[in-house]
Amino acid sequence: MRRRQRWTWLLSVGALVAGFALLAAACGGKSSNANKNTNTAGSQGTSGGTAQNKPFANFRIAYDTGTDYLDPGLSYTVEGWAIMWNVYLPLVGYKHVNGPDGATLVPYLAKSLPQISSDGKTYKLTLRKGLKYSDGTAVKASDFRATIERDYKVDSPGVGFFSNIVGADAFSKTKKGHISGITTNDSTGAITIKLTQPQGDFQNILGTTFAALIPAATPAKDQSTHPAPSTGPYMIQSYKPNRSAIVVRNPQWKSNKGTGITDVPNGNPDKMTFDILGDPGVALTRTLKGQDDYDFQQPPPDRLNTLQSKYSNQTKVYTPANTYYFFMNTRLKPFSDVRVRQAVNYAINRQALVRIYGGLANPTENILPPTYPQYKKHTLYPYNLAKAKQLVAASGFKGMSVTVWNHDRGQDPKATAYLTDVLNKIGFKAKEKIINSSVYWTTIGNQATKAQIGFADWFQDYPHPLDWFDVLLNGTRITQTHNNNYSNFDNKAVNAKIEALKKQTKLTSSVNDQWAALDKQAMQQGAWAPFINRQFVDTFNSDIDLGCYINHVLYQFDFATICHK
Amino acid sequence: MAQPAAETEFTLDTAAELAAEESAAVIRGRSPWYLAWRRLRRNYVAFGFLALFVVIVVACLLAPVYAHHVAHTGPNDTHVLDTITVHGKRIDVVSKGGVLGGKLVASTPVGPQWFAAGGKYMLGADTLGRDIGVRLLYGGRTSLIVGIVSSLICVVAATILALLAGFYGGWLDFVITRFFDLFYAFPVILLGIALGAALAINGIHWGPIKVQSGNILIPTLIISYVLIPYVGRPLRGQVLSLRQKEFVEAAIAQGSGPLRIMFTELLPNVASSILVFFTLIIANNIVLEAALSFLGAGVQPPTASWGTLISDGQGLIVTRPWFAVMPGIAIVLTVLALNVFGDGLRDALDPRAKVKVEH
Repeated sequence: MRRRQRWTWLLSVGALVAGFALLAAACGGKSSNANKNTNTAGSQGTSGGTAQNKPFANFRIAYDTGTDYLDPGLSYTVEGWAIMWNVYLPLVGYKHVNGPDGATLVPYLAKSLPQISSDGKTYKLTLRKGLKYSDGTAVKASDFRATIERDYKVDSPGVGFFSNIVGADAFSKTKKGHISGITTNDSTGAITIKLTQPQGDFQNILGTTFAALIPAATPAKDQSTHPAPSTGPYMIQSYKPNRSAIVVRNPQWKSNKGTGITDVPNGNPDKMTFDILGDPGVALTRTLKGQDDYDFQQPPPDRLNTLQSKYSNQTKVYTPANTYYFFMNTRLKPFSDVRVRQAVNYAINRQALVRIYGGLANPTENILPPTYPQYKKHTLYPYNLAKAKQLVAASGFKGMSVTVWNHDRGQDPKATAYLTDVLNKIGFKAKEKIINSSVYWTTIGNQATKAQIGFADWFQDYPHPLDWFDVLLNGTRITQTHNNNYSNFDNKAVNAKIEALKKQTKLTSSVNDQWAALDKQAMQQGAWAPFINRQFVDTFNSDIDLGCYINHVLYQFDFATICHK
Repeated sequence: MAQPAAETEFTLDTAAELAAEESAAVIRGRSPWYLAWRRLRRNYVAFGFLALFVVIVVACLLAPVYAHHVAHTGPNDTHVLDTITVHGKRIDVVSKGGVLGGKLVASTPVGPQWFAAGGKYMLGADTLGRDIGVRLLYGGRTSLIVGIVSSLICVVAATILALLAGFYGGWLDFVITRFFDLFYAFPVILLGIALGAALAINGIHWGPIKVQSGNILIPTLIISYVLIPYVGRPLRGQVLSLRQKEFVEAAIAQGSGPLRIMFTELLPNVASSILVFFTLIIANNIVLEAALSFLGAGVQPPTASWGTLISDGQGLIVTRPWFAVMPGIAIVLTVLALNVFGDGLRDALDPRAKVKVEH
């Protein structure tokens, strides 16, 4: 009886609690719907989401196949960096906020931003005390030097960023000893970097993933599937290329955060699961059906009406700083001839390419995207197929075989299908070569591949013109493997101008004008055939609270700050 | 009493017919091929499907005529910004999309126009403004060429290996059989994808043999290569059995050499199986080509094949499902036609045979 009485009492209490819970849920639902109406699809730019501390179990992401590596020394894709931003922390980094303020550098593992000498050649930083990697080992100042040296040892695509450090060139040849320009003191945490000449973007370079600290003992080979210990709020638990990645909380983060890292949020999901999917249609369907929480891929252009009519409160449209272009290898015929490169620029109809990308793009002939203050629109190459044919005929390369390279992901292969048709129309015998997206960039970035022409895109590593011209078009930075200058563009005048502008520590209006002029100069030489600045759509399932949505100026959607309803 | 016929054919159609014929006929010998033809021509279903296959082949062969005179465009010609006139109204081949008036608007290619646009885009356009009808016919040419040529290579190679293994036996049989077993160990699609993915990047460079990537010879060779054991192994069994027959021993006793025995005694006796295999494996190879091309390991873009067309149509499966369904129907009809005809052929050549392609 007693037992029965107790059971009855418990039932009454349970019913009461359930009633209150339902009432609360109904009120919450109303509030949530009110939020939904403000997050209308089609809103341009970044939204005004504010990060809230709402931990939840698992954030499931329908990812794409573009991840090259999950090794901070090797990855150089948006996919790789988007995951590692909250995993591997550099000495300095960026605020996790919406809008232009996201480009503000703040100290991460360093106590403060670097002290720069008056001649602009010496950078001094101090590592916070008490930092630990996710495996519990202490973070040491010497790990910074070891990290940069490891970049050289693994032939990182980011080594070009560090070539201005004293002794880096010598180290790149021998890969033995140390880089003399980096001195560290493990007991005080002091790190001193000496440059051969002033460099306007060096602070930003210190904030790249290539400079994110990992233990000195990390093997100098790809660690993607055996992730290195991390310092950030998360650590990579596992990575199966082309299948999945799982990111979980770093058990040492609380103690690291306690050292004074204020600008890196703890993150809301306890776990992030990345389901790597090859088909954008499948990724979208999984997200809308609730099998995933977020669709990293872009929805097929024909599904936009459905998104607008049924799921407008689950989408966000934004335009990151990006340029999509066709590279033309200037070391190989026929693109060694400037007339052929100009012909390609005349022959592609950029409006057609905008439509191929479902209209979510703006046509461009510039190298820099319009979000840059250095951007000055130029129209050197209005669509003119007849002129393109004349230029090809004049070059003497008419009838030559050309191979157009691309990866197999999203809408991009359609851009090269269009280019192939255009090349055939202006007198070449063009054919396509489509390869898996996870190996595409390393394949075309290897000189042995001898890729003639193909698709490329660029999203800023940091908001500075050097990230475009120095990384992508400086002939002195061409490498044998992991080359980013796919055109192998090596123009003495352009190189000299880049080197001169590199020394400018401040981006004044006069300096900005010089960058704009350089954009035009490079395009007169037909360095690339730029075609669009692309817009993107982020799609979420209905369980996600977009009030927490942060779209960062560099890393785009910040997975760690999102909330569940 | 029945009037004896002056001359009656010995056809072996049914036991009843045979009994009736035997009772009164003056039996005249006919070749096995003639008898098979007699049986086949009475199989109207098989002939009906053969006719369907011929129609498909002829339609695909006429692709350039259709492209030039009806659709006025090539299979790879893009028309992204073009417009067409339908019932006096101009419409975009690929509609404008993106963020228009603050709303997301889909960019969609035109659907089937049948005869409304003067023969253009009868079956619609893809996202590059390419004519689906033209690509379907050109794609059929590619798929049929890959299917037939790969079957030919596969059957020739498998027959030679089966004759060698079955006739000589011993270590040669052991080596060839293990070679077959090795291939059996891999699922055909996985092996095809592995080879296709590897060869798609660099092409084939084996000494003097050089085939550039993108050439349809690559998927043709891959498909023929991976299916050799599936034809070779049953043929080897037949050759092993025939090797023990008296006529082979007689040929050896007469002093015939191995090559002569293999090609004049054994080969004619397995020819009917080879012919049935060839027919059935064409259908099989067309499906395999479509699967590999769909997965990006077969025919490379922009070359159209039914597999690549299904892959292209996949992106429009919600708004334009016919783009993926039409090449699918073409594959189904072709494979059905070949399989039904192949079954009829098998029944005609050797009703007791259990020739089928399994993997």
